Amino acid sequence: MRQGPCSEEDCFGLLKQFEHVLESDPLIDEVGFIHPSQFTLLDKEAGFSNVYLQPHDGTSSKFWNQDHKLGISTDILVQLCKDAKHLFLLALDEYKCHGNACREPQIKSISSTPESEVMKHSQAVLLLSSDFGTAWNARKLILSKADKLFAFTDELRLSGLVLSNSPKSESTWSHRRWIIKMISRRFSTPQDIITKESELVESIGERSKMNYRAWYHRCWLVSYMEVEQVIQELNKSKRWAGLHLADNSCFHYRRRLMLKILDSLYVKGCNAYDKTQAHKIWKEELDWNKELVERYVGREALWLHRRFLSLNWIMYFTSNHSDVSPELGESIIMMSEEIAIFIDNEIHLLESSMTILDTKFEDYQAQVLHAVAYMLWLTKKMPELRRMLEEKLGTEKVKCLLSKIGEERPSLLHHLVNV
Amino acid sequence: MKITALLVFKCAPVSTEPVILANASDVSHFGFFQRSSVKEFVVFVGRTVASRTPPSQRQSVQHEEYKVHAYNRNGLCAVGFMDDHYPVRSAFSLLNQVLDEYQKSFGETWRSAKEEDPTPTWPYLVEALNKFQDPAEADKLLKIQRELDETKIILHKTIDSVLERGEKLDSLVEKSSDLSTASQMFYKQAKKTNSCCTIL
Repeated sequence: MRQGPCSEEDCFGLLKQFEHVLESDPLIDEVGFIHPSQFTLLDKEAGFSNVYLQPHDGTSSKFWNQDHKLGISTDILVQLCKDAKHLFLLALDEYKCHGNACREPQIKSISSTPESEVMKHSQAVLLLSSDFGTAWNARKLILSKADKLFAFTDELRLSGLVLSNSPKSESTWSHRRWIIKMISRRFSTPQDIITKESELVESIGERSKMNYRAWYHRCWLVSYMEVEQVIQELNKSKRWAGLHLADNSCFHYRRRLMLKILDSLYVKGCNAYDKTQAHKIWKEELDWNKELVERYVGREALWLHRRFLSLNWIMYFTSNHSDVSPELGESIIMMSEEIAIFIDNEIHLLESSMTILDTKFEDYQAQVLHAVAYMLWLTKKMPELRRMLEEKLGTEKVKCLLSKIGEERPSLLHHLVNV
Repeated sequence: MKITALLVFKCAPVSTEPVILANASDVSHFGFFQRSSVKEFVVFVGRTVASRTPPSQRQSVQHEEYKVHAYNRNGLCAVGFMDDHYPVRSAFSLLNQVLDEYQKSFGETWRSAKEEDPTPTWPYLVEALNKFQDPAEADKLLKIQRELDETKIILHKTIDSVLERGEKLDSLVEKSSDLSTASQMFYKQAKKTNSCCTIL
């Protein structure tokens, strides 16, 4: 820690350096905090000696910047963050009190208006502490006066940079949603911005597992999509989903997309082609899910996805003699021949899933559990299905399945028994 | 589906520190500044698991969002770092194949390997890492391989259950010569913030 008084130059030297690096390389796409010992290693890997980086004030070895990556030494983080926050709050005060007018216009240059100071220091503080709400809000305040699309797309760039180091920061994701709302209000909603957002979430989801906030953001984007884009998204994200079978978030996203398709069918002006297309999409998803379930044994996310697919298939895509629309909650599903055939196939799937091929791997036991839970969950929605199950498998077998579920998923059994 | 790393260790004589014989890893999906630490952790965790995998045993250890699979066949131990999506059967099928290929290429020369020897790059392992990212390739092996022998696979929900009673991962991290100061710092930081985005 520094002792004794120092001039403003010295005290904020690190911050100035940091802000200078950011300004001089606008293409930085990744920020990270690095241990001081990593500098030499990073230089070696980048393939050059450190000679020309010899600092004249002994502070250059705190930032590492090559190939548009910026590393900040961990030993200066706390001080840097304090300094950035301090100057930011000062600048914000100045901005709020005096608006954007310079106090000494003849001395200060255009590049240091109160507004630009707020933006500069808030950028620095947010890269170090992404959840600092005051800073994000200050930026919102200033941006709301902007009239160029570029200001907003540049803001997307900054928040993307913050996410490279803090991919789970809710304030950052929320700020992105604000930007998109502003863009769609002031300008139009360019489809490619939504597409890029979706791709960003996928790439962040790859690096940062169990990132609920990223996936929530992706689901939120769906409300800005037209049906054609929804279908494109469904197709584009299929491969990723097939490689991340334990990831329920990505299947939840697919369900959100499919719900949008379903919703659009009940909007005025929907024609037979739309219905046929939706029917095809649903059938393909069901078949693909079945392939995956048979290939990758014991994956709960796949079986949960099947619950959604099967139930909606029965309700909206088969002739079932009842008038259902999405607003109705618990509607009675009346059996029809088409449904009976579908159920028959599902029972076959259940039977084949219950065959344990070997006991060496836990997967097969998990598969039985998930298959049985799936089937019994469906009987909750379709009481007639229980009768069909008992016919096919025998009452004893069904009782045995119920007790098995009772051990592993007591809450499901509780619902079934009380029906 | 992702295989982050494949390693081969010499685990003989029993209860000596395993010697690393081969190592291939793909850390491109990690943040730029974390990559070297990830590689170090792979070696550290791999060595820790290998040293606690007795001969003829297979085990899988869940660590963070990874499954670390290990198979010790007569003192030669193959370790794979796979994600949750990669099927366990395919993983062991691949480890079997790695051991077969290793013995084909190096016979029994590995028995005299020492830690000080530099780890040579084994091109096959790098190829395998790429090829078997798709588990369908590993499943093809199952058909032509002799039956995986009857040993059950032991599953550990955390790495702590592999350690001996009284051993803590934290102290192993501190004592390990596989981990640089930087990696130890990352480990401590991740624990402090209690985030689930740790590097192994």
